[in-house]
Amino acid sequence: MFDTETEGARIELRALTKHYPGQPAPAVDNVDLDIPAGELVVFVGPSGCGKTTTMKMINRLVEPTSGEIRIGGKDVLSLQPDELRRHIGYAIQQVGLFPHLTIGQNIGLVPKLLGWPAARIAARVEELLSLVNLEPSLFHDRYPRQLSGGQQQRVGVARALAADPPVMLMDEPFGATDPITREHLQKEFVRLQKRLRKTIIFVTHDFEEAIKLGDRIVVLRERSHIAQYDTPAEILARPADDYVAGFVGQDATLKRLALLRVEDVAPAGPPQQAGLPQVAAGTSLREALDVMIAHGSDRCSSPSGVLTYTALCGAVGTGRPSSPGREPEAVPSLPAPEKVVAGGR
Amino acid sequence: MNFSEYVVSRWDTLSLAAAEHVLAVAIAIGVAALVGIGTGLLVHETPKARNASLALSATILTVPSLALLTLLIPLTGLGWGSTLIALTAYALLPIIRNTVTGLNGVDATTVEAGRGMGMSRARVLMKVQLPLAWPLILTGVRVSTQMIIGIAAIAAYVDGPGLGTQIFEGLSRLGSVNALNATLAGTLGIVVIAVLFDLFFYAVRQLTVPRGLRVRH
Amino acid sequence: MAADTLTADVLGSEASEGAGVPGAPETAGASGALTAGRARPSRRAARLRLLLTPAAVCAVLAALYAWVSAQDLDSIEQRSLNPSVILTKAAEHLEMTLAATALVVVIAIPLGIVASRSRNRIATPVILTAANLGQAVPCIGLLVLCTFLMGVGFQTALVGLVAYSVLPVLRNTMIGVQQVDPALVEAARGMGMTRGQVLRRVELRLAVPAILAGLRTALVLTVGVATLGAFVAAGGFGELIINGLKLNRMPVTVVGGVLTACIAFLIDWLGALAENVLKPRGL
Repeated sequence: MFDTETEGARIELRALTKHYPGQPAPAVDNVDLDIPAGELVVFVGPSGCGKTTTMKMINRLVEPTSGEIRIGGKDVLSLQPDELRRHIGYAIQQVGLFPHLTIGQNIGLVPKLLGWPAARIAARVEELLSLVNLEPSLFHDRYPRQLSGGQQQRVGVARALAADPPVMLMDEPFGATDPITREHLQKEFVRLQKRLRKTIIFVTHDFEEAIKLGDRIVVLRERSHIAQYDTPAEILARPADDYVAGFVGQDATLKRLALLRVEDVAPAGPPQQAGLPQVAAGTSLREALDVMIAHGSDRCSSPSGVLTYTALCGAVGTGRPSSPGREPEAVPSLPAPEKVVAGGR
Repeated sequence: MNFSEYVVSRWDTLSLAAAEHVLAVAIAIGVAALVGIGTGLLVHETPKARNASLALSATILTVPSLALLTLLIPLTGLGWGSTLIALTAYALLPIIRNTVTGLNGVDATTVEAGRGMGMSRARVLMKVQLPLAWPLILTGVRVSTQMIIGIAAIAAYVDGPGLGTQIFEGLSRLGSVNALNATLAGTLGIVVIAVLFDLFFYAVRQLTVPRGLRVRH
Repeated sequence: MAADTLTADVLGSEASEGAGVPGAPETAGASGALTAGRARPSRRAARLRLLLTPAAVCAVLAALYAWVSAQDLDSIEQRSLNPSVILTKAAEHLEMTLAATALVVVIAIPLGIVASRSRNRIATPVILTAANLGQAVPCIGLLVLCTFLMGVGFQTALVGLVAYSVLPVLRNTMIGVQQVDPALVEAARGMGMTRGQVLRRVELRLAVPAILAGLRTALVLTVGVATLGAFVAAGGFGELIINGLKLNRMPVTVVGGVLTACIAFLIDWLGALAENVLKPRGL
């Protein structure tokens, strides 16, 4: 259907507008947005800002009043809506599993709509259940009501992935779970997306979640106006205005520390130095700082070298830079943002 | 002659009347289920049509059965015709109402999930909403059945079929030997039919309600 | 309008029907549509509809009068179709209906409340099954059987009518009280109310709509069954129907049938009015 069958496809929104009849102002007003192929872009904004409406126009659950939507270069508005939706994964907060169908049937529904042969559907269902860490033999024949909230959310993600769509739309898919399950699901999902490289639009009102998951974040204000569209690190470091700063909150620096890893900072000593608190190379700077404070030390050791408090401050641009010449906020901007963000995970 | 002797000696008459009673109820409920569920499927999304069909069927149900049966005589005569029309008309409201309630009661996010996956509106209606509404629809059909089994007894007064004939026979011979026996036979026979229909619907429910709706955590 | 309000009312009793069946989806669905259905009409439209039933009944009665006047009535027909006979029959019909309903209120509602208490919950399935099957017991059979015990007459009809509608009202009362959100009961207990206070101030207040809905359904049913009172010589409009059939005088039967239907609609309409007045505000 799109130029790529399963790899992420580019999404372009042009002057996209939704004006509900009888309402004074449009719900979504003239949105222009480019979402690069294979990236996870988070729409974040207060409730009622039009983020969900914007997302639902992409699979045409909401028909745009005017504007253009292209996926992989193809004009979405010229396609048959049902056919279009079968090629776009869709996961929502309430999950919406069909209670009268088994887990296997729920996941296999879109492939069935697409006319896959039974054997291929069965194999795909098995594969997906394993992918979202649900033991196929245990869960295949169960019914949604027999699953916990977290398990249902996983099935929801698996169902959205079923036909291996190049594009996925996710509306707070982890929103209805408890914080621990949620964190767990987010981590799993990040790992999954690293492998799959789908183009994903992810709607949330939780800025923390946006930082954790997004390659880029779109901060939206009312009527879906774009307040800032950038990488998490850039938004944290340089919020475009007070509105965005309000979203970022008071602890922007701590949040940015969470995005960087120990191995990203130039070492100030040999690796694995004895007598210092030890952290792993992949530990986030935030966790490393926690270890330092806990041990009353201004440095800690990792397999990639010694991390000092000064270097840590330098990495997020407070205090003195640890290594002259390195501009810590020189996070590569738009063209190639993944590196730092990926490092942050 | 005591009751059991009466039943034995009149077995042929009684079993024929019972069979007729069952047949009349079965035909009426079958037609009413088809019309009612069909109407429900058609009108559940349009408030005006929905309210109109509910209002109409509720109006019918408000008319007392003896009045409806007699008012039908000039139109459809005595006997089976009037009986079947009245029974079918009375059975409609619970079926339409439960169909509409069931279809609209399906969680909006479930419907949206179906649409979002690329299922057409008709497909969502038939494959998602209808199975999920089915237990409630079945309850409506069952309630209607129990109701018209009782009403069918009155139809005997306008020469309709069924066990009501026994009751009216008892009434017309008050004081004679078998009056009480005939009334009892008619009344108890109808209760037995009601129990049998209830068992039937229990079985249908067990067989047709999707398993996923019956399982619990 | 009668129809519309009756819809809501039967829906109420249906919600209880759903509750009687194992499986939550029924109840959830029923109550959901109930609110959806009620949110729609505006106040003015509702008021207009309130006038619709009496207006329609008046129109039907006028048409009936015109039709009967146009007929060439013979002496037999004239004996039935005159104001004094019709008024007598109307009074008998109403007397039967109201007396039976009053008795049902006195008997069924207290019993329903007792049955709703948690220590009596074992009775719940018994009452539900009995009420469900009770609907299938032919009321005519019940009336005739009463005749064997008490002879013909008004009292016999009354006993039959009460026996017929006690169970549905009892069931609705019980379910209405049981359906009250357990969280509200817990909140009330948490505020220090005694069990009796919780029942009086919370559970019964919230159950009023369900109880009223059940009562109104029973009232409409009773109007219909009261027609059968004529079979046991208790009078009422049924007598016109039966006499007309016996004497082969169709106009008498038609008048009886139409009047019975009209009185049923009016009673249902009054029930709707009463429901609106008695329903606690905020619900």
